[in-house]
Amino acid sequence: MTISRRSLFKTGIAAGAVLSMPSVLRAQTVPPDARTVHMVKVGGLTIFDPVVTTTNITLDHATAVYDTLFSLDSKLMPQPQMVGKWDLSDDKKTYTFELRDGLSWHDGTPVTAADCVASIRRWGQVKPGGQLLMARASDISKKDENTFTIVLKKPLGLLPTILTQNLYVMREKDAATPATDAVTANVGSGPFKFNHALAKPGASFTYDRNENYVPRSEPSNGLAGGKIVKVDRVIWDNIGDQQTALAALQAGEIDYLEGPPADFYPVIESDPNLALQVLDASGQVYFLRMNCLQKPFDNVRARQAVLHLINQAAYLSVISPDPKYSSTVTSFFGDGNPVSNGENTGWLKKGGDPEKAKQLLKEAGYAGEKVVILQPTDWAEASNTSQVLAAELQKIGVNAELAASDWGGLVARRANKGPVDEGGWSIFITSESNASRGDPTATESLGARGETGWFGWPNSEEYEAFRAKWADVATLEERKALARKMQQVAWDLAGTVFLGRVVSPIARRKTLTGLIGMPELIPMWNMQKAS
Amino acid sequence: MAAYILRRSISAIAVMAMVGIFVFLLLRLAPGDPAAIIAGKSATAEMIAGIREKLGLNDPLPVQFIRWVRDVLGGDFGTSIFAGRPVLDLISQRLEPTLSLSILTMILSVTVGVSIGILAAWRTGGLVDRLLAAFSAFGYSVPVFVIGYFLIYFFAIKTRWLPVQGYLPIERGLGPWFVHLVLPTVALSLGFIAFIARVTRASMLEVLSEDYMRTAAAKGASSYSMLFHHALKNAGVPILTVIGISFAYLIGGVVLTETVFNIPGIGRLVVDAINNRDYPIIQSVLILTSGLYVLINLTVDLAYTLIDPRIRY
Repeated sequence: MTISRRSLFKTGIAAGAVLSMPSVLRAQTVPPDARTVHMVKVGGLTIFDPVVTTTNITLDHATAVYDTLFSLDSKLMPQPQMVGKWDLSDDKKTYTFELRDGLSWHDGTPVTAADCVASIRRWGQVKPGGQLLMARASDISKKDENTFTIVLKKPLGLLPTILTQNLYVMREKDAATPATDAVTANVGSGPFKFNHALAKPGASFTYDRNENYVPRSEPSNGLAGGKIVKVDRVIWDNIGDQQTALAALQAGEIDYLEGPPADFYPVIESDPNLALQVLDASGQVYFLRMNCLQKPFDNVRARQAVLHLINQAAYLSVISPDPKYSSTVTSFFGDGNPVSNGENTGWLKKGGDPEKAKQLLKEAGYAGEKVVILQPTDWAEASNTSQVLAAELQKIGVNAELAASDWGGLVARRANKGPVDEGGWSIFITSESNASRGDPTATESLGARGETGWFGWPNSEEYEAFRAKWADVATLEERKALARKMQQVAWDLAGTVFLGRVVSPIARRKTLTGLIGMPELIPMWNMQKAS
Repeated sequence: MAAYILRRSISAIAVMAMVGIFVFLLLRLAPGDPAAIIAGKSATAEMIAGIREKLGLNDPLPVQFIRWVRDVLGGDFGTSIFAGRPVLDLISQRLEPTLSLSILTMILSVTVGVSIGILAAWRTGGLVDRLLAAFSAFGYSVPVFVIGYFLIYFFAIKTRWLPVQGYLPIERGLGPWFVHLVLPTVALSLGFIAFIARVTRASMLEVLSEDYMRTAAAKGASSYSMLFHHALKNAGVPILTVIGISFAYLIGGVVLTETVFNIPGIGRLVVDAINNRDYPIIQSVLILTSGLYVLINLTVDLAYTLIDPRIRY
């Protein structure tokens, strides 16, 4: 048998056609590139249930897939979202909520009041605001298919705000899952549908526009208002290496890169196709926590020494070298929040105050006890600032040493309340949303409940008494007055010391526009992509 | 031969068991807590404790170990703590990218490495030989991620000839699949090409200086016949050994290459699992990898008999 050149060529063409056939077929069901947005988020999405975790990427996922009863607008004020009409009884103890028309789950069934009640009960088991609500509620039940009520033992002026605190409404059967078990069905009533068929854990997750979603009629405003989706598909690509992610952005393979390192900023700014944009203008507050249960920081004077020692500018230069994206912060309630204030902030001094710190240490009777600083080596900002802190403490005669581990190791060790010789710790550095510091009912690190509170365990009955009143007061003015009193106590207590506030821009291709800027969350509606 | 294979298979099981015990203990004794990672940065101690209890991480170590061994012996490698899916499903989902990259890398490394090695030995001191010396120094000393970033810069960002990152399954078309693997394959292959070429050259030089090669030349054998029929066959055992070693080392190289080029393979899976303390994934991948090492060594040993009939088992 002989094979001619012509027959070989024909066979080759036929083989090529057959091999490429699946991609041709698939191309008919894949949205065109201009209607698909590729995003690279910080970290990988591993937990899909916002009740089980506090990680931002899970909350972003939930914001896309689920809807909320109330949402915060751009001024951080609560606005009804799934709720159509709502009413408060004259004695201010009974709230009645009626769902708006057109709400349906991604499986096509209607959203009911029973779903909302079950979701509130599950969320109320673990989230601080939810726990407060559950403690105050005498009854949460449905009245009819579209209406439910919350009956309180005593008025709770903050209730609409509490209902915005990561309360995502799930189907009743999903909300029946124990609060420690993650719901993985990912069936919500939000503006995006999670595409299970294209889910590749660790590689990419795909969200398709929910064509049945009925947005509110009001214009988009923060997380509130009409959630109008202007693209067909959003793909979260999990690119572990930031350098590769930047190259992919430059090459147009992705449209959005979250949290690029500060040393990438000049490269991004010099590329005519790329832009840096601050979406979370409130930013993150970096702070250190001292172990108030063990020496030397069981003594308030020793903690105050650290408060007076810290020169925020030095730490900010390590965290975010470009001063455009950083600032000092003095209010215990964060910078620029409605309740931020200047009470008892005389400790802030340019360059820090090492002499005052030494004096306070002496008053504390510091006798050279070892101070162990937990250093998370896989988190550059916290790791570098830990080194600066160790050097500053050593300069004033503190026997400070670093205990290096990854973040997972740090989190495990910080739960140890024992002395450093028994695996305990003295200081760790972390960050949290500046906006979240404006609400002490939702933010654990703003508590002072001693050993039952958040890591570091500062204890002040006076502070907690003020904090308990927070949810009861109805007006912003009353909360501002309360905040001043709390801050007076908090800076004397000095369980937390700020290192500064940083905003982190995202990088995007200029063809991607309409991104909504909110603290912590990145909603995906409203954005659009030019071809 | 059958007895030899049986003996080696039994030793493979012993090796995998040792690896299993070592990895289990190492992971449990290392700092870190998957429950804390699941709960997130701002989680309360109560949230973390609840998740730990749910995952069975509060049970004593021997209880956890016995439970795990019992499951593995029953063919159940466990469920990912984070993804909530069977580990074997996740591994099988990641197998294609890793196998694609590994096979292409070995094909490129062996064909180019052996060819350059033969040429360098045939013309010792010539241009190819000198270039090989320089290339070997480069291939050995430059890390794969540096090569990767260079390739990305020139061939993806500057010229836009090839994609920066990602992987497309072969079912999406042979062309797109291949295009996404060109840069990672080249980046990963350079070191192996240098290694295989150096060993091939040395082995060929030794054989080419043998008396029987001079006899062949005296009898008028062609260069082709001398190189490929006489020399290469006799130089084959060390070359085969080095190819086997390269295949084993490839597993380590794949981890870094998959990270740089964002290929969702086994390497990325295990790196993410280590960061998250996803114990079932780490344990399963390392046990299966150790089994693969043993299998590669066994295959190489058996292949010796094809090249050198004097070798018997």
